[in-house]
Amino acid sequence: MEFIIIPILASLIWAFLPIKSRWIAAGLGLISLVVLLTKYNQGSFPDGLVVFDQPWLGESVRFTLVIDQITWLMLFLTQFLLPIIVLSVKNNNNKLISWAFLMQAGLNGVFMAQDGLIFYLFWELAMIPIYFITLQFSEKDNFVTTIRFFIYTFVGSLAMLASLIYLASLSGGSFAYADLLNTQLSHSQSLIIGGGLLLAFAVKIPIFPFHLWQADTYTNAPAQGSMLLSGIMLKMGLYGLIRWYMPLAAESIDFYQPIIMALAVIGIIYGGIIAIRQDDMKRITAYSSLSHVGLIAAGFFTLNSSGFNGGLLQMLVHGFNVVGMFLIIDVIQQNAKTRNLSELGGIAAKFKVFTVLFFVIVIGTAAAPLTSGFPGEFMLLNSVFKYNSVHGILSGLTIILCAVYMLRIFQKAALGSAEIEMSEISFIDYLPIIIIGFTVLFIGLFPQVILEIFPMSLEKLMLEISNAKGVLS
Amino acid sequence: MIGIALVFLGGVLTLFLGINKSESKSLWMTRLFMLASAILAGAESQGWIDFSTFFQWVPPQMLTFSPFKLSIVSILSFFGFYILSLLPSSDKKGADVLGLTAFALTGAMMMVGSQHLVMLFLGLEVLSIPLFVLAGSEKDNIYGNEAAMKYFLMGAFSTAIFLLGAAFTYGGSGTLILAEIQMKLSFSAHFGEFPVLLKAGVILMSVGLLFKVSAVPFHFWSPDVYEGSPNRVATFMAVIVKVAGFVAFSQLIQTFSPMQSWLNQWIIPLSILTILAGNIVALAQQTVKRTLAYSSISHAGYLLLFLIVPMEENMNVLGTYLLSYGLGTIILFYLMDKYSANGEKSFEMFKTIKNNKIDLAALVISTLSIAGVPSTIGFIAKYQLFSAAFSQSSMAVYFALLGSAISVAYYFKPFRYAFAEAQDSESAVNKDGQFFNQVCLISGMIFILVLGLIPTITERFF
Repeated sequence: MEFIIIPILASLIWAFLPIKSRWIAAGLGLISLVVLLTKYNQGSFPDGLVVFDQPWLGESVRFTLVIDQITWLMLFLTQFLLPIIVLSVKNNNNKLISWAFLMQAGLNGVFMAQDGLIFYLFWELAMIPIYFITLQFSEKDNFVTTIRFFIYTFVGSLAMLASLIYLASLSGGSFAYADLLNTQLSHSQSLIIGGGLLLAFAVKIPIFPFHLWQADTYTNAPAQGSMLLSGIMLKMGLYGLIRWYMPLAAESIDFYQPIIMALAVIGIIYGGIIAIRQDDMKRITAYSSLSHVGLIAAGFFTLNSSGFNGGLLQMLVHGFNVVGMFLIIDVIQQNAKTRNLSELGGIAAKFKVFTVLFFVIVIGTAAAPLTSGFPGEFMLLNSVFKYNSVHGILSGLTIILCAVYMLRIFQKAALGSAEIEMSEISFIDYLPIIIIGFTVLFIGLFPQVILEIFPMSLEKLMLEISNAKGVLS
Repeated sequence: MIGIALVFLGGVLTLFLGINKSESKSLWMTRLFMLASAILAGAESQGWIDFSTFFQWVPPQMLTFSPFKLSIVSILSFFGFYILSLLPSSDKKGADVLGLTAFALTGAMMMVGSQHLVMLFLGLEVLSIPLFVLAGSEKDNIYGNEAAMKYFLMGAFSTAIFLLGAAFTYGGSGTLILAEIQMKLSFSAHFGEFPVLLKAGVILMSVGLLFKVSAVPFHFWSPDVYEGSPNRVATFMAVIVKVAGFVAFSQLIQTFSPMQSWLNQWIIPLSILTILAGNIVALAQQTVKRTLAYSSISHAGYLLLFLIVPMEENMNVLGTYLLSYGLGTIILFYLMDKYSANGEKSFEMFKTIKNNKIDLAALVISTLSIAGVPSTIGFIAKYQLFSAAFSQSSMAVYFALLGSAISVAYYFKPFRYAFAEAQDSESAVNKDGQFFNQVCLISGMIFILVLGLIPTITERFF
């Protein structure tokens, strides 16, 4: 429960008190990270530790929050990135910090919820702050962009709500995860329920034809909004896929698997190709994100252990890397007043340390060996190849495409001779990038540290899926 | 019963004591009686006090207040108090306006408690006739006159149709007492055939009530009437009439529950039609008030779903829904009234809301609640309604969810001006009783959030 209450308190503090220091915000954000690291030791609760359990609505809904190893990983991602994100907020923007903390509460709730309706509640609670962040702090009038983003996701969530209500009506009214899991579905029921859940998650991830909200929202949102969206919020969809869709509607996996695999592979290549042609660095990152999470979704849908392991690792790594990219873009934009590659150049000549960090994050995103992107991507591609070699080869193109657009960013922005005016970069702007750069190298060298966080819970989850489904390759 | 007595007494006292004085001077008295009624009826509904010994002379086959009905009376009085507190008074009008408002509220409570068709009709009339007058209470406003005329003609027709239905029902069953009608119907249900007169009767009575609650296709009067009436009266029509109307309606349909499956055949399409038409037409509206009018039409569609679910188990759901709908609507009407004072009628009025933090928070919270976004009471209400209706008609629930998705597009329109295109301006809107207004507004927000996060409270109350 502390992961809900601390962020909400922090949010209220920043909404009402006129504090001017970003350090205090980051400090407040660190509290929940410290609580997570000290109180909940990673790896010690494979079956899930019930941290809160109270009746909430009638007899059917209980307010149940559970932490298991996979949840721990997601909580770690959220608590780790939040201080970094609020540390990068410029201009004493207290409202943005306040919204970000509120969103943290929602995200933590999504990852911990062990009851269908509570999951839905937090799912929407995480949506509201990001809607207001994009609406309030974007660069130009983008009501249309934000309302499109909201309606896309709201339609998805309502489909999920319909599915959950349907599923609960079959389980005798209870929304508890265990009851939903034990409900026997016929094939057609499973298709309907699974379709609703998949729609919600596919919009959020986003998987190829449901991504239309993504690029505009990322581009127009303030940098911190993009970080929250791509760094943490996307993971809600991926997490929902493995925790809620696959075990609960396992009977429908056989039907949806080829569809999602095909769409994910299309998304991987489509995102990569479009990213190459963009000029705006934020748009490139948005499409690269589409391509990367497509690969994670594909990995999960192969249903083999290498796919799940790689997918979970890559969820964490992608969160770090994409936040790092947006941090870099934010610093460049704040100083050079542009983020278009055609107008940038020559950063390397002026800022040595910054360029090194920039390069580390770029190669991390491009999944060069010994950086954090490599192990996860390798495992994912391996699993997709096992599923179907054609899919494997096609999604393998992502390595080439990603190297092309990432190195293009670096080449155009950092190298070259264009004369752009850039002021000094302060330490407070450096610090978040240094932390991210460190994780890129650390996870690249020791991926096993992350992979050892979740093996038992993952095994249990895969067992649940295979029990529900019958077979698992 | 205590509610009726207190509010009626308040109305009479306001009329006599406030004669020749301006409205704002007697406002506190009406408010006081309504608040007392809300508290006492609420306490009685929880069984903390018992007034039934004072009202033994009331024949129980005419008016009976079960605990659920008492809690509805309590929220009706609370809404009356809330409307009178938030929406401002003008010094131009006299205390008669307040007296009429109190009488209309009395009628609403009579509808809620009625166990007899004549009582239901009486309640309907006592509710409607003061509203005909109130709709035109701004005498020099030509639109107000139009609204009053329209409302009167439509209301008179619909009441006549209701009466015809009641007469048919009497012809078919030989009684006007709801419990006896139900008994007759369950006899007929054994033979598998219902008298044609009863079928015609229930249809005609429903048409009369559908007019009152402005369900499609009987909704055409409502946007025009809302637009022409003074804001306070429009709020009253959108909230009180709908709350009382739906409680009476569900009671009536419950009476006819032996023919429920036959009734569902036309309630479900009507509900879907109302949800879709209300939400889609609301998208095209230019003024805030008309958008709110169509929003209230779409909510009538959701509320119609209550008529297809078995009532005994779902009374607290109906209560929660009505509470959430009333709170959200009143706050939105209040903001619309406050920011349209300078004559701006479109959504651009919210450009200046940024300066007032409390109003901004109220706008966000009430909009989220009425759109059914979680962590507000609106979500609890919608979720409970949908899951109750799901077992009866999953199709209707899918359409209702679709309607909710559409509704976001117009509910969120004010945010565009409140956040993205906000303007800094001098705080032009300053009214008397600012402090009291803010207290009311903040308590309304607290209600919405607390009841949304701890739904057990409403479950126990209703």
